[in-house]
Amino acid sequence: MKAIAPLTEERFFTVFLDAVDGTVCVPANTTGAALQARVAPHGLRFPLLLDPATSLSAHVAATTHAPASCRFGQYCDNILGMNWRLPGGRVVRIGERVAKTTTGYDWLRFLLHAGGRLGEPVDYVLRLRPACGFSLLAWFEGEAAALRGCVSRLLHGGWMHWWDAVDFVAEGDRRRVRVAVDCPPGEAPLFTEELQRVAAAAGARLTLQPATGGTLDGIPDLVLKTTPDRVIALAEALAQPAARCVGLGYSGVVHVYLREGGDRPDRIRAMVESHEQALYALGGDWHSRWLPAPAPASAEAAWLVTLEQALRTP
Amino acid sequence: MPASAHSVAPLAASAPAKDRAATDRVGADRRDLLPRLQRLLSRGRVFTSPAQLAGYASDALGYKSYPPDAVVIPADAAELVEFMRGARDLGLPVMLRGAGTSLSGGPVAAQGGVIVHTSSLRHIREINRDGFWCEVESGVALNDLDAALKPLGMFYPPDPSSGPVCTLGGNVASNAGGAHCFRYGVTSHYVLGVEVVLLDGTVHRFGGPAGGRGRWREDWRRFMVGSEGTLGAFTRFWLRLLPLPEKVWTLRATYPDLRSIEAAIHALVAHPSFPAAIEMLDPRGVAMVEGSRMAAGLPRGSFMLLTEIDGPAALVDARVAAVSDILRRAGSDDVAFSDEEETRRRLWKARKAAGGLLGQLSPDFVVQDAVIPKGALAEILQLVYDEADAAGILAVNIFHAGDGNLHPNFVFNSRVPGELEKVERIGERLMRRVIAVGGTLSGEHGIGNDKAAYMPLVYGPDSMRLQWAVPAAFNPRHQLNPLKVFGERRFTG
Ligand SMILES: Cc1cc2nc3c(=O)[nH]c(=O)nc-3n(C[C@H](O)[C@H](O)[C@H](O)COP(=O)(O)OP(=O)(O)OC[C@H]3O[C@@H](n4cnc5c(N)ncnc54)[C@H](O)[C@@H]3O)c2cc1C
Repeated sequence: MKAIAPLTEERFFTVFLDAVDGTVCVPANTTGAALQARVAPHGLRFPLLLDPATSLSAHVAATTHAPASCRFGQYCDNILGMNWRLPGGRVVRIGERVAKTTTGYDWLRFLLHAGGRLGEPVDYVLRLRPACGFSLLAWFEGEAAALRGCVSRLLHGGWMHWWDAVDFVAEGDRRRVRVAVDCPPGEAPLFTEELQRVAAAAGARLTLQPATGGTLDGIPDLVLKTTPDRVIALAEALAQPAARCVGLGYSGVVHVYLREGGDRPDRIRAMVESHEQALYALGGDWHSRWLPAPAPASAEAAWLVTLEQALRTP
Repeated sequence: MPASAHSVAPLAASAPAKDRAATDRVGADRRDLLPRLQRLLSRGRVFTSPAQLAGYASDALGYKSYPPDAVVIPADAAELVEFMRGARDLGLPVMLRGAGTSLSGGPVAAQGGVIVHTSSLRHIREINRDGFWCEVESGVALNDLDAALKPLGMFYPPDPSSGPVCTLGGNVASNAGGAHCFRYGVTSHYVLGVEVVLLDGTVHRFGGPAGGRGRWREDWRRFMVGSEGTLGAFTRFWLRLLPLPEKVWTLRATYPDLRSIEAAIHALVAHPSFPAAIEMLDPRGVAMVEGSRMAAGLPRGSFMLLTEIDGPAALVDARVAAVSDILRRAGSDDVAFSDEEETRRRLWKARKAAGGLLGQLSPDFVVQDAVIPKGALAEILQLVYDEADAAGILAVNIFHAGDGNLHPNFVFNSRVPGELEKVERIGERLMRRVIAVGGTLSGEHGIGNDKAAYMPLVYGPDSMRLQWAVPAAFNPRHQLNPLKVFGERRFTG
């Protein structure tokens, strides 16, 4: 085959909304509210939002998961492509606008949560999901064992795939399990019955409420990644120093929210120090928008030099 | 110490190399090779006789043949590490191979060298039900993992049709997909951690059961998934699991034309029942199946659509009528559906049989793996037909329509002069259009050496520089799987 001449110019994503494919390309500084306003008329939604007033890039800079990652996966599974400004200032296209790709090395997932170290996003191509028309928030309360029982039943049963979120929420002395539902209105009774069954079987009290703003917890101060079975214990352990902890049951993530104050970075550092070794042992990690990233491990320094050379070429 | 580069005649001269790349060999003197390899591995794990090598000369794209100089089968991960430590000094390319079912020319010795077969790394080391993860060795066959998970009520969603034999190593290296990835996502969504041996013999663990970065600052696991054997040898994975869906309904419909099946696909992808799979077989595929012993009773000339919804019984039972309605409203008067195991198997029959029947039409086939925005489905399929018909080549389409992941199979005979060139010309025109409508070259098979020629269509100068930086960091001399992904990735000894 005759060799194909290489492209002499970069390809870029332009802003678009593809209602058939359920994809949209928006500037990375679009707020959650503006994004929803753009896609809702097409019966679509981007489920991984934490704060309507905050930009998408700030979401992604703060954490890898949102409550709805339980059903739809992490940010990196829902951001398909981006225009990315390299540290040297040039913009490149990374990833695709289609849901599947094995075309070359996966820079998208590598860069997405790399903080500002390796450049910054300009536009995102997002994968959207059908908005089903009815949303509901379920709160379970009760003894510790009852709450554990709820989480276990919710995650290990066949309904697990259909919960938008199964979260353990610790706030002061209060412990609750939160379930978010997004379903067609006609199916609401089926979902409600199942939630009632779970509450009865686990011996927990159930309260149902409209979901407006239900899992919009805000942008976390500290994020810890562990295995799903350790989420409740970790959220419990951090609940005291924190103002609020939200454990994302299936994702194995704990979002920690702290009271404001000049000593916030010190409080975060103390929390990290008491848990990081246990997290690392499992291949977990932590991240805080208030602390610098840890120094590179010795083995990665050389790889980084090679990559940074390519990224910084003017 | 890098060995000096001098070209040698292939050690295994059994099969005539049909592809020009097979003449482009590098490496140590063939007389030296056997004893040097034997020093690295235990007895009986090095193969160099033509009969032993014959099965490794190609992948599932059988029309290209690249006989390796040797094949090694390390007994375990420790021996693989020993081999990798020594391999750098061998001065030969090193290719990792799972089951060899790649459809893109991935695990083949395009520049000669040693194939490392992972068939001894077959242990499922742990299944952690509470933590929703498992730890497996890279040579575990996909369906063996599923068989182990099923009694626990769990599953690992990526499901390439090669599941009975393909390995998790091959799946991770090519970021495999499958029929049910429309809802569940592809391999990269499920890899929590990778253990990899680099060519310098160092062993690194990127991630683990928790699926984070571990002690690393950056998330190196991301480059490993989909790296097609060009960065390192995978020995172990930590994979994310899900609870098995309680119940499945399979629905099959046939359509008289492309526009109506396209309308059905568009309606299904937006439906709140979130189908798990949306698969399609075109009239040429239907004719192939109906003309075989695997006939499924499909109307000749029809387009077949297969979809599945799964979930709790109460939920899917309530949804099945709405989904079958969608199929009818789009223009089908032939909708069949069932939740009963045997009938579901019958509904899947044509789709499952189709891949295996291609070989009966002609000795060779090339399958493209482009992914397109679904709005362009009818346009691109029409292009496939027009181009193939004009060239006198049969094109059969069997594919993952929900993801817009096309698999046009161009059936041809490589012994007929000019046929392969025709198929390559069609491939180039198709890929140009795919890129123009916003699609990409490969959704799940990888680039290998079969699609490498199209890579210049995708990456501009800056993004190409980034692509090349990845092997430059991990495998700068391209000794691992040379000439793959980017055709210019040549090992010079
Ligand atoms: C009938 C049929 C149906 C198919 N259906 C699908 C489908 O639905 N979806 C899909 O995605 N694919 C499909 N495929 C393609 C193929 O099966 C997949 O790509 C599969 O993931 C390859 O696995 P393997 O073990 O055969 O890998 P191989 O073919 O042996 O290797 C594939 C690539 O992985 C690399 N590799 C293998 N093991 C390792 C390792 N341990 N470390 C590093 N690199 C490694 C190789 O070097 C090579 O580049 C199909 C193939 C056939 C023949």
